[in-house]
Amino acid sequence: MAAFIVRMGPLVVLWLAVCLSGSRAVDRGNFKTCNQSAFCKRQRALKTGQSPYRALLETLELTNTKLTLQLINDNNKVRLLLELYRLQGNMTRVKINELKPLKPRFEVPDVLINDPPTEPLSLLSQDENGVVLSLGADTQRLIVSAKPFRLDIMEGREVLLSLNSRGLLAFEHLRSRKDTLSDTDGAEKKEETDAANEQAEGEETVKEDEKAEDGMWEETFKSHTDSKPNGPSSISLDVSLPGVEHVYGIPEHADTLKLKTTDGGDPYRLYNLDVFQYELFNPMALYGAIPVMLSHSPQRTMGLFWLNAAETWVDISSNTAGKTVFGQMLDFVQGSSEAPQTDVRWISESGIIDVFIMLGPSPNDVFSQYASLTGTQAFPPLSALAYHQCRWNYNDQEDVAAVDQGFDDHDIPYDFIWLDIEHADGKRYFTWDPHKFPQPRDMLQGLEDKRRKMVAIVDPHIKVDTNYKIHNEIRSRGFYIKNKDGGDYEGWCWPGNSGYPDFTNPEMRAWWASMFAYDQYEGSMENLYTWNDMNEPSVFNGPEVTMHKDALHRNWEHRELHNIYGLYVQMATAEGLVQRSGGAERPFVLTRAFFAGSQRYGAVWTGDNAAEWDHLKISIPMCLSLGLVGVSFCGADVGGFFKTPSTELLVRWYQTGAYQPFFRAHAHLDTPRREPWLFGPDNTALIRDAVRQRYALLPYWYQLFYHAHQTGQPVMRPLWVEYPQDTATFSMDDQFLLGKDLLVHPVTEEGARGVTAYLPGNGEVWFDVHTFQKHNGAQNLYIPVTMSSIPVFQRGGSIIPRKVRVRRSSSCMEHDPYTLYVALNTKRFAEGELYIDDGHTFNFERQKQFIHRRLYFANNSLSSRNLAPGSQFTTLSWIEKVVILGASKPNKATLRMSDGMESLLDFEFNASMSVLTLRKPGVNAGMDWTIVLQ
Amino acid sequence: MHCHIVITVVFWSICVDSQKIRGISLSYKRFYRERQSFLCIDGSKLMSFDHVNDDYCDCSDGSDEPGTAACPNGRFYCTNLGYRPHYIPSSRVNDGICDCCDASDEDNNSHTPCRNTCRNLGQRERADVQSQMRTLDEGLRLKQQIIQESVLIWQEKQAQLLDLQRVADDLQTQLDNLRQQEAKKNEEVEKLREAELEARETAENNQNRTKSPLNIFQELDSNRDGSITLDEVQAKLIPIPDEGRGLSEDEAVVLLGGAHQVDLSRFEETLWTSLKMGDRVMIKERLRGVPSSVAEDDTYIKAAMSAAEKVAADMKKVEDSYETVYMEIRDLREKLATDYGEHREFLLLHNQCFQLKVNEYIYELCPFNQVTQTGTSGAEMSLGKWGSWTGTPENRYCQMKYEGGEPCWQGPSRNTVVRLICGTETALRSVKEPSKCQYVMELQTPVACQQAQRKQGVHSEL
Repeated sequence: MAAFIVRMGPLVVLWLAVCLSGSRAVDRGNFKTCNQSAFCKRQRALKTGQSPYRALLETLELTNTKLTLQLINDNNKVRLLLELYRLQGNMTRVKINELKPLKPRFEVPDVLINDPPTEPLSLLSQDENGVVLSLGADTQRLIVSAKPFRLDIMEGREVLLSLNSRGLLAFEHLRSRKDTLSDTDGAEKKEETDAANEQAEGEETVKEDEKAEDGMWEETFKSHTDSKPNGPSSISLDVSLPGVEHVYGIPEHADTLKLKTTDGGDPYRLYNLDVFQYELFNPMALYGAIPVMLSHSPQRTMGLFWLNAAETWVDISSNTAGKTVFGQMLDFVQGSSEAPQTDVRWISESGIIDVFIMLGPSPNDVFSQYASLTGTQAFPPLSALAYHQCRWNYNDQEDVAAVDQGFDDHDIPYDFIWLDIEHADGKRYFTWDPHKFPQPRDMLQGLEDKRRKMVAIVDPHIKVDTNYKIHNEIRSRGFYIKNKDGGDYEGWCWPGNSGYPDFTNPEMRAWWASMFAYDQYEGSMENLYTWNDMNEPSVFNGPEVTMHKDALHRNWEHRELHNIYGLYVQMATAEGLVQRSGGAERPFVLTRAFFAGSQRYGAVWTGDNAAEWDHLKISIPMCLSLGLVGVSFCGADVGGFFKTPSTELLVRWYQTGAYQPFFRAHAHLDTPRREPWLFGPDNTALIRDAVRQRYALLPYWYQLFYHAHQTGQPVMRPLWVEYPQDTATFSMDDQFLLGKDLLVHPVTEEGARGVTAYLPGNGEVWFDVHTFQKHNGAQNLYIPVTMSSIPVFQRGGSIIPRKVRVRRSSSCMEHDPYTLYVALNTKRFAEGELYIDDGHTFNFERQKQFIHRRLYFANNSLSSRNLAPGSQFTTLSWIEKVVILGASKPNKATLRMSDGMESLLDFEFNASMSVLTLRKPGVNAGMDWTIVLQ
Repeated sequence: MHCHIVITVVFWSICVDSQKIRGISLSYKRFYRERQSFLCIDGSKLMSFDHVNDDYCDCSDGSDEPGTAACPNGRFYCTNLGYRPHYIPSSRVNDGICDCCDASDEDNNSHTPCRNTCRNLGQRERADVQSQMRTLDEGLRLKQQIIQESVLIWQEKQAQLLDLQRVADDLQTQLDNLRQQEAKKNEEVEKLREAELEARETAENNQNRTKSPLNIFQELDSNRDGSITLDEVQAKLIPIPDEGRGLSEDEAVVLLGGAHQVDLSRFEETLWTSLKMGDRVMIKERLRGVPSSVAEDDTYIKAAMSAAEKVAADMKKVEDSYETVYMEIRDLREKLATDYGEHREFLLLHNQCFQLKVNEYIYELCPFNQVTQTGTSGAEMSLGKWGSWTGTPENRYCQMKYEGGEPCWQGPSRNTVVRLICGTETALRSVKEPSKCQYVMELQTPVACQQAQRKQGVHSEL
């Protein structure tokens, strides 16, 4: 749910009327452009050219772990401290802070999972122009040029990346306010005095040459004034990427996968905001922010992580953008033109420059590099990967029971039913409406009896009400965020006047987590999980519908850490769910706001989308972008949140959502009901089939999430990640891969009769999972479609386990047998994996209680071998069936167990489709076995 | 499905075969008799009998696995001895959830210990069904009364309609008469008006144009007999300058040249000369400015007009009565045209209203009229006006729809679906709002009881 429309009392209605002025789409006027954001305007006014910064090589210090060096701005003589680290795993960290800031500048805590381990840097050469350092691996060098200051990372003779090559390093040093200066003359006089003083005091003195500009010490947007007691503090750095034409990442934006150049428009903005009815295909900020950008070319994939939680803007320009394909070819043929290059510029309102350069070189290297910094995707409970049924709102217990029964009556599986804000007593989270939900435990037990679960919303705005325990405790413990004058910060949200707990405070988070204990959260049970919405935070009457930047989190202004607030909310909530089970159970928490590192705490959805075909389309690049920067557990509201989908759109959305990581249907309060059985038996059957496809594939999904958890590799991937040389895939965002073995091309056009899918891989083959039809790779393939399904292909060379016995819920499928889909490549080879554990505890990690097996088909035999000899887990599941695609007919099929026992298997062979089906091997899924075809 | 009561349980006493095939009903036993080989029921495949219930799906129709979860389209027969037998999808076999009350869908070795609850369920259901049957019986009895009552009311209404129509006819006749009268009176008034207008014109001519002797003669000749008499002279002329008094007879005689009456030619020689001189006498009206003849006509008009007004007032009264009667007739016709069910059994609900308080709201249903919601503030909101019956094809009278209520924010108008359920008294039982501004009510009433519900209660999926 979310955005701010609701029946909340006349005052709010009036306020809404004023604010929304009846618009159907986003009211852009509510949100700042770069020009309206004083620091962005100031920074963007700086043009490329010679940098005023110079490295003072005589200050260079090289220790085992880092190199430090002072930089001086020749214009104002302010000194900066540069720290360079070579990090394990082919990464370089560049930190720039003021050498002697007036007061400490904010450095973002709790994002890095540890102090990144370093490797020694060695000095290769040094002269008065700079130093050359070895980055160890291969021929990689880091070159520090002194005047002007710039950094280049080279491999051999190639520059991989340059910092400050365009001279846009800019650091607004902290300063004291000079209120006495009221006019320009005064300022100039003062400057002269300063200059005089400076001469007297020598070079160490800072020269104040910046003229006071509007918005440095105070800024007003609409009716909101931002007092800026610390004055200007923004930072900026440019990054050049020679040879790069494609950059990705920096979610969250409702835009294409490949980032666009921002010349002539606004930069991409990263500032967590509750945007009502957001628009597509533009760089406006949305609910979450992950300041990580990936660059990719056929030669190399790299990443850049800008660790800063303040409002951030990212400019992208490219020397090839705008050139026609012909123009590019001409350049290529004539060899005359400069090499392609992408230039990026990062601008943040505050904090320090702390940049992690991930040097790849492969996409997977970048994923593991980033994962080594911020952690990997939380491994969700298996059931969380199944289907979720949500609506704002399921009205009461009876309603919940009726919907639950509806799924059984129509034989559609589901695992979670969700309750939005109306379930709580007057939007007091952790409580239940006494009329609508008088017996929450009975309700939860009713779901538990069918092995199903529930999610109830817990938002971070707390109703200011002295009869509300949560509020009283937070207030009495002093856990609320304070306003600039020191009182508790209050703003309007769903419950009316609300306080906002300071989740950046670890004590507050610990207390919050304790509130999820079964004896604290009344009516809660083991099968109740949590949803954190509105955690940007959303403040209906705040600037840009969020918190005032001068609000205080103990010592730090909200300005410094705005973008990480939502991460902390989810972190504390997930910790609560872990703690309530005594540390045994994996949590499941959905969040709307996020930051780098949020992947460690649960799932993310793309917020309040709309029931429109374009919103279905955009769900693909939005989740792909998130996956590239660590957040694999991503989904969009199936059906669209605002407005009412046509039946065709709803069916197509189910078919797409079934193949996206977080699969939840959701709907706005004002829309008509849209449970899957409300659109006639034919559409019910189509939706049932889509949901069943999801359930059958749960073993594969679970295995992909296990991998994401282990390695940081995205579950849902752009094609270029697996086909990094294939330039045709670089901008593709109408289809995607799940793992590396399934290719999905959703149907996102109304009335489509066919789609053109691109099957990558020269020499590869792909099998249509619905028909088993084989197609060659490296081709655009037109596929006729009906309403019955969307095109999905299994890669030749892969083995995918499925559980084809689809039950009421994923828990009911726990002990069910597996069917292995073996798709042979042209070399008659295939491999895959099988991962099994209890599906919900941390035992897989703590006690190595899991089964992880390698399945491979070679030389006409299919084998299962243990990939984790130290692990121990037993399963009741067995191998029910093996379907081999692209097979030839054997004379016999023999099953061999590790103890030498042999038995013959029945089989069927479909000659027209070359499909061999082996009947009932019957072996336990955790055992070693081999099937030999002769 | 909301329109009927589950009524009856039928028992099958099933002889349990010692080599029972799990998950089939008695009637399907014949397909599994042979024990050597098995032919899928759809005839698609022949296999060895040990493939039956071996937890692997061989038949595309799922018939080889009636007792396992192996086939995606299979079904499992819960015998449920003591309760109601029924099928469940195969996917619910051995899923850790007890679906059949006889516990037959879960293996003994599965993690869920299922108890046989059929006896209890059966007893409870029998009790329920008995009570529902009593309700149905009582409901049907009440419904019969209501139908009879409705017939009477219907006849009464028909009679009332006839009466009203008669009254309307009478009123129509009166109205016609009055219209004629009115027309006549109006005509008279019109005539007088015309005369008046003419007179006014004449008077104006007298004043404004050069008067000819003839004009004056005619003016003075009140009785238009072609001569002017002394009386006429005395009536119309006044002496100058002593306008206060009338002319004496002698003075008049002098003016007429000594005669008692003059014709036009004599007039020209006598009085006309005096008038032309204008020093001894003048015509009265000149002084007053209003021709006396016209002033006199005005009173006639007033009389005529008041007569016409009286007729009009009478007519208004009759018209009002007619209007009232006409409205009554229209209402009655509308009512009589409303679909009150097969036997007009819902007629009695019209003009009644039923209330239910749900949390802070009071809901009111006035069947065939409207649905409203009243909040704590006392503000009343329309949730829809009577639309139509929207029940099932088998029984269209089990559900009503009220439409076109207060519009919703960013949405359509509020509407309400009223489901009718059988009960011994008529009352609003529940109100829900499953989607915003779309309400669902349950109205319990004997009228919704159906004979057919006896049969519908007999559940069998055989």
